[in-house]
Amino acid sequence: MNFELTEEQQLIGQSARDFAKEYLEPIAVELDHTGDFPKKAVNALAKHDFLGLLIPGDLGGAEAGFVSYVEVIENLSRYCAAVASIVNNHTIAAYAIQNWGTAEQKKKYLPGMAKGEILGGFAIFEHGPTPGVGADALVAIKQDVGYVLNGKKAFVRNAGEAGVYVVFATTDPALGAKALTAFLVEADAIGVKVGEKLETMGLKGCPVADITFENVVIPETAVLGAVNEGTAISAKALAVASVAEAAQTVGIGQAAVEHAAAYAKQRVQFGKPVATLQAIQTLLAEVATDCHLARLGLQNAALLIEEGKPFEVEAAMIKSFLVRLGSKMLLDTCQVEGGFGYSEFMPLPRMFRDIAGTNLLDAPGDFPEKLIAASIA
Amino acid sequence: MPKCLVCYKWTLDEQDIKVKPEDLSLDSSRAKGKISDFDRNAIEEAALLVEKNGGAVDALSYGTASVKQSLKDALSRGPEKAYWIADASAETADASVTAMVLAAAIRKIGQYDLILCGEGSSDLFNQQTAPRLAALLDMPCLSFVNKLSLDGDTVTATRKLEDCEEVVTVKTPVVIGVLSEINKPRIPSLKQVLGAAKKPNEEIRIADLGLKPEDIQPKAVRKSVKGFVMHRKNVIFKESSAADRVAKLKASLASEGLC
Amino acid sequence: MAGIFIFSEDSALAAQLLTPALELKQSLAQPITALTLSEMDATELASLGADKVVVLQSADTWVEGFSQAIYAQVSVAGASVLLIGGTLRGKHVASYVAAKLNAGMTTDAKALRIDGGKLLATRVLYAGLAVCEEEVALPAVVTIRARSFLAPAAASTTGAVETCSAKTDDRITVKEVTSTSAAGVDITAANKLVAVGRGFRKKEDLGLAEDLGGVLTAELACTRGVAEDDHWLPIERYIGISGQTVKPELYVAVGLSGQVQHMVGCRESKIIVAINNDERSPIFEAADYGLVGDLYEVLPLLTAALRK
Repeated sequence: MNFELTEEQQLIGQSARDFAKEYLEPIAVELDHTGDFPKKAVNALAKHDFLGLLIPGDLGGAEAGFVSYVEVIENLSRYCAAVASIVNNHTIAAYAIQNWGTAEQKKKYLPGMAKGEILGGFAIFEHGPTPGVGADALVAIKQDVGYVLNGKKAFVRNAGEAGVYVVFATTDPALGAKALTAFLVEADAIGVKVGEKLETMGLKGCPVADITFENVVIPETAVLGAVNEGTAISAKALAVASVAEAAQTVGIGQAAVEHAAAYAKQRVQFGKPVATLQAIQTLLAEVATDCHLARLGLQNAALLIEEGKPFEVEAAMIKSFLVRLGSKMLLDTCQVEGGFGYSEFMPLPRMFRDIAGTNLLDAPGDFPEKLIAASIA
Repeated sequence: MPKCLVCYKWTLDEQDIKVKPEDLSLDSSRAKGKISDFDRNAIEEAALLVEKNGGAVDALSYGTASVKQSLKDALSRGPEKAYWIADASAETADASVTAMVLAAAIRKIGQYDLILCGEGSSDLFNQQTAPRLAALLDMPCLSFVNKLSLDGDTVTATRKLEDCEEVVTVKTPVVIGVLSEINKPRIPSLKQVLGAAKKPNEEIRIADLGLKPEDIQPKAVRKSVKGFVMHRKNVIFKESSAADRVAKLKASLASEGLC
Repeated sequence: MAGIFIFSEDSALAAQLLTPALELKQSLAQPITALTLSEMDATELASLGADKVVVLQSADTWVEGFSQAIYAQVSVAGASVLLIGGTLRGKHVASYVAAKLNAGMTTDAKALRIDGGKLLATRVLYAGLAVCEEEVALPAVVTIRARSFLAPAAASTTGAVETCSAKTDDRITVKEVTSTSAAGVDITAANKLVAVGRGFRKKEDLGLAEDLGGVLTAELACTRGVAEDDHWLPIERYIGISGQTVKPELYVAVGLSGQVQHMVGCRESKIIVAINNDERSPIFEAADYGLVGDLYEVLPLLTAALRK
């Protein structure tokens, strides 16, 4: 059994790190202040093939595996997790098209997505109890022309910048989630109204907004996968997405612990660097340990995904771990830096706000522990 | 359509090397390998030349067994093929051995129009390889080059020296040593990284180079390597007012005879 | 009989090479032959301790083109040690000659001696992190940088000077040469330096450092960022791993953090003083005297105090 990344995976990670240092480090602070979509950085990502990482070669992608993918996300997140979010949400949309799309759908969208000409978005959440249920639920009514969509999607990332959205709507309000179906909706379809950009706590620069669908007409060929297959598709896609998000958490945590450690070595109090004080050592050790273990769990889950093996339990485990301990990494490293950890001119406060956005639960009823417990008991 | 060869070294990242405080010896156990910084510039320059003029770039490296870890890295940066020599002699090789081995390998592989090297390796920085290679191969050498262009078989280069820049021309074949300011090495895109696995590499065994045993014995032998340590007085003035601190500093400078 | 050879196209450096050469002469009991491209240098070198000086003459003046001719001189006469001035041109020549001689070569030796019939040279490794001794079998080639040694005092006898016509490398054509040295000062020759970093907010604020330099009779120097990024000072004043190396009596580091890439250029200064408002800066570990404070407050006070 080999814990080491392959040479390719290491080189890809190194490229991502070098890229992030050159293109993301200079913009991270400003991006956090303005929240303006970083178009130049996204174009540069496209040129380096980061936006088509999982897409097959014959459709213009790099056709690298999922382990390489999480390596990239972790390394990008060390410098700018917001941009990593943009990549993640785009990639999950592409992943959905790749796994459930028809040959025509794949040919229509994936080459453009690989080149960064079309950005992807993933619209699953709603303000109601669960997708497909409630007054604002997104409903897709079948008609001769295809489907007509009405309703609202919430917290759509890459909203307003995406060219195509993977959208989940119920084809039968009476059946709710059981009739959930996935659709590909182009951003410029008439009736697609992106709401006001949300001011989020962190990951600023990755736009988040509600999208209202007013009599949006889409053809039958826009159905992704089978009718009523939406719940299964979204469950799998979100499980994969959770592993990708975990890579963001680990990247941010790693950057934070390295920063705090460097600080602790230099900050002198009581005649010695604070890194020699037990309290500081404990904080740094816990964060470094959690980050290391999280990374191993993350890489394991990623490898299972890459090999097409069952991974949902392992993905739930890493999600559960990071929901509990992800933000603690930043609480602890900020504590190490004391007043500086609380000052916005230092990087930790931004990372604190960013990491919180990477370990949010998808839905209160969908907690990962349920799946883990079911797998053993 | 020039045939270019780039010689590069797989080194330990000097940033990862630590000095052990007990005895000042060096701890490189955690040091990761990398293509020597200036060699990356050489690889990039060759890749740029070939993009502009056609032709092809090969890479050549002489190192210990770890040199195999460098091949995909090098091949993701432009070269079409990588030649490599992995031999224990590289562990203690000095510039004379390195040049002998590389020159013998080049004679074995074939003719090149341009042979590029970095100015020096990032670990030892001997700055000897390019002129030594040129001497052994009986080729002219352009060292400390920060600008390079090719027109047919004529190379035009700008060399940057301490007090001047000179523009020189020479006909190929030629050995060229490049400065780090000549270009900015590309960050390999994913396709370039993944494409590296499909490119060929070829091992050259030292035994096949026709060298004598004394040729791979270093003539400059590192006898002792110790971390550099500064011994300074570390007197820090802590008086509460700036004026008092300044007064103490002035007194110290006076006691040193400096003011 | 085998001999000690020296060569540098730089007059001052060539004279400096005679100092280690004279020490080697003591150990090896061999004569010193100085190779030079200049008749003026020849006269000086002959008076400073060279037993023989050979002036290599050619219509072509490109220094590197004399590599083969220098090798011819050295190999015919038999060299035990060849000391070459460590300019970039010198390193090119030295490497070429070393390859032809099948000799070992130490680059930028800081000190050298003969021990057990071999040359022991001290040099720096890993971008300044480490120092090592290299043992080089004879014949050995060594480059030595400017100001590593002082030129010797005048010798009691004068060496013989001869000229020799040299065949130079005609494969390379020098098309044009553009001088890049500023008409300004050579900070490597300054006895005292005030070095500025990015703690200064504006170019005009460097005046505070200049004032201090005035009362100390110190030249101004800087870190890489100040020269290459901000362009507040010319590149010749940049001290660091890819800039100048200095060894003044006094080095006052103001508003700079003291990272190793900078310190490797000044760490052999006799006394280092640091003024910085961040007590965590590495510069304080590298300083003999450190003052934690705001340079905007401290510099005027210090300048005034030193004026009294």
